Amino acid sequence: MTSISSRRLRKELNEIQAEGCPTGITLLSADNFESWFFSIEILGESLYQGEVFKLMFRFDSNYPISAPAVQFVVDEDSTAPVHPHVYSNGHICASILGNEWSPVLSVSAVCVTLQSMLASCKSKERPVDNDRYVRYAPDNPKKTRFHYDGKRSMR
Amino acid sequence: MAQRQVPTISDLRVKLCYICREEERHDTPDDPPRAWTHPCKCTLIAHESCLLQWIQTSQQNRSRAPNALKCPQCSTVYELESDNPVILRLLDAANRGLSTMGKVVTIASVTVVVVSLGTGMYILSTAYGAYALKEFLGAEMYDLLLTEDPTNWPWHCYLNLPLIPLALIVSRLPFNSSVTPLVPLLLAWPTSTPVWNNKRIVLDRWGIPMAPQREMFPLLPSWPPPPVLLGLFIYPSVRIIYNRLFTQFSRWVLNLQPEATDTAQRMILALEDDDPFLRIRINANGEERNGQPQPNGQGQQERGAGAANNNPDPDAVAPDAAAAAENTIRVSGTSLGRLIGGALIIPRISSVMGTLLYRLSKYSLLLRRFLAVRPPLTPDIRPSLMGSMIDEEAWRKMSPVKRLGVAGLLGLSVAWRGTPVWAECDPVWWRNSLGLGLFTVAKDCLHLLHLWLAKRELQSRRVKSKSFEGVDVGELDLINPAVYAAPRHP
Repeated sequence: MTSISSRRLRKELNEIQAEGCPTGITLLSADNFESWFFSIEILGESLYQGEVFKLMFRFDSNYPISAPAVQFVVDEDSTAPVHPHVYSNGHICASILGNEWSPVLSVSAVCVTLQSMLASCKSKERPVDNDRYVRYAPDNPKKTRFHYDGKRSMR
Repeated sequence: MAQRQVPTISDLRVKLCYICREEERHDTPDDPPRAWTHPCKCTLIAHESCLLQWIQTSQQNRSRAPNALKCPQCSTVYELESDNPVILRLLDAANRGLSTMGKVVTIASVTVVVVSLGTGMYILSTAYGAYALKEFLGAEMYDLLLTEDPTNWPWHCYLNLPLIPLALIVSRLPFNSSVTPLVPLLLAWPTSTPVWNNKRIVLDRWGIPMAPQREMFPLLPSWPPPPVLLGLFIYPSVRIIYNRLFTQFSRWVLNLQPEATDTAQRMILALEDDDPFLRIRINANGEERNGQPQPNGQGQQERGAGAANNNPDPDAVAPDAAAAAENTIRVSGTSLGRLIGGALIIPRISSVMGTLLYRLSKYSLLLRRFLAVRPPLTPDIRPSLMGSMIDEEAWRKMSPVKRLGVAGLLGLSVAWRGTPVWAECDPVWWRNSLGLGLFTVAKDCLHLLHLWLAKRELQSRRVKSKSFEGVDVGELDLINPAVYAAPRHP
């Protein structure tokens, strides 16, 4: 008997493959139920026009009770967007990935939320504490306790 | 008309759990059947087990707990029903109470540890302060001001005494040269009233009986200088002048180029810079000295020279950087011990030197006058706060205005000269201060001698030249080979 997590991920994957991703988002790979990769770009007027980023989802066996670990991939061919809530190592400070995660959300819902987070950006700058955070950041962003203050939190 | 029926979860054709995304059609129910729930006002439904798992997990996470019982879509608060008997609620409450008490106990124990450590430090510092004061003021004055019995101590002792070791150590820190070690010893006490004590020590002493008319002119300068004046003005200014002069003197002794720099410290650092040979040598000495600590009660004046000694690599760093490196080095490891030890031994050194001066004064009237050695107070006379200037009779006869004037004069006098205890007692503190000064000068001179000898040793260094004894003459290209032709032994 497969676990709840893999059954739910299987369903989400089926949906994505059947109905396609939301606009601007493409599934790059979903070879297992541990990590999925998406490409994400912002269509229409935005500060990130022409930029394509790579998103990595990591799931544990408690998904969807526990939130997926989501971050931008930073390697030779992709970087993290310059955004006040995105650290240069790709970690994202977004409440829906932390205390506001709920099982009603899904992989594609997270993608869309992040897309709109980028689209609504007013100024391209790194978080204030970027250097300090990146120096000591854990590999998995879920191990970080982000402080979602009023200014930073997202719907 | 039939009442319109409100549909429930069992009326749905397809049920989709918003948590696990499993579906169940009404015509093909799960086997075994699973309970479904519709907990809110919107269309979200879930398996009861999935929802309970979500709620339970969320409640365990402090940041997610506020959202645990809310529908993520319509924010309706879920209502939980459970068997919650009185006994369980009682136990829960007891558990909460106990964990609160646990927190209280934790905080209390940490507090107790911190407080007892602090109290220990405080008691130690106070005891040391009393010891330092006794060394510095002498037994007689100590008995008048404090006595061995802490119950007699005036209230401000409990502030002053623990501050003494602290101030001594601070006075020796490299970056705070304006604090003098004598200030805490001298300034706190002059205005203190004598403590009543019947068993006073009477010491065997010689001295010059004091002139009684001093009491008539309380604002005239007195000898020895009043402690307030000594601590606040004389000592610091003497130190500055001495530092300058001694630096000039060092420069002259070591035969170095004069250079216009401000502070003694920079001068001596520059001094080390001028002569690379000397500098290297001094470093070697510094290492030696760090390895085997010498008996050492450094005064303020040596700091500049000491700086160069402790500086590990002056070749590589600029003078300012060298000073900075010196600061860090002096506050670590052995040098920390040296710093604290050197600070805490100051009262003892000054007492020993003061006693030495006192012994010497036996043979010189001039020295006795200079030290203002006085015979001990007779046991039955206790110096009063007001002094003998006015008696009660005269006080009663005065007009209020005159009383005010006299009181003001007395207050000024007390602030200026200290209470009669300071004016009438044998001024052990005075000769101790002088002794400490002499000690500092002697130590500085010794250090300078060390530098001078080291420099001379370096400058006189030659490599001894030897003859070619034992070398085959034929191998040498000589001007006049015939003279050195190898003698043939028969």
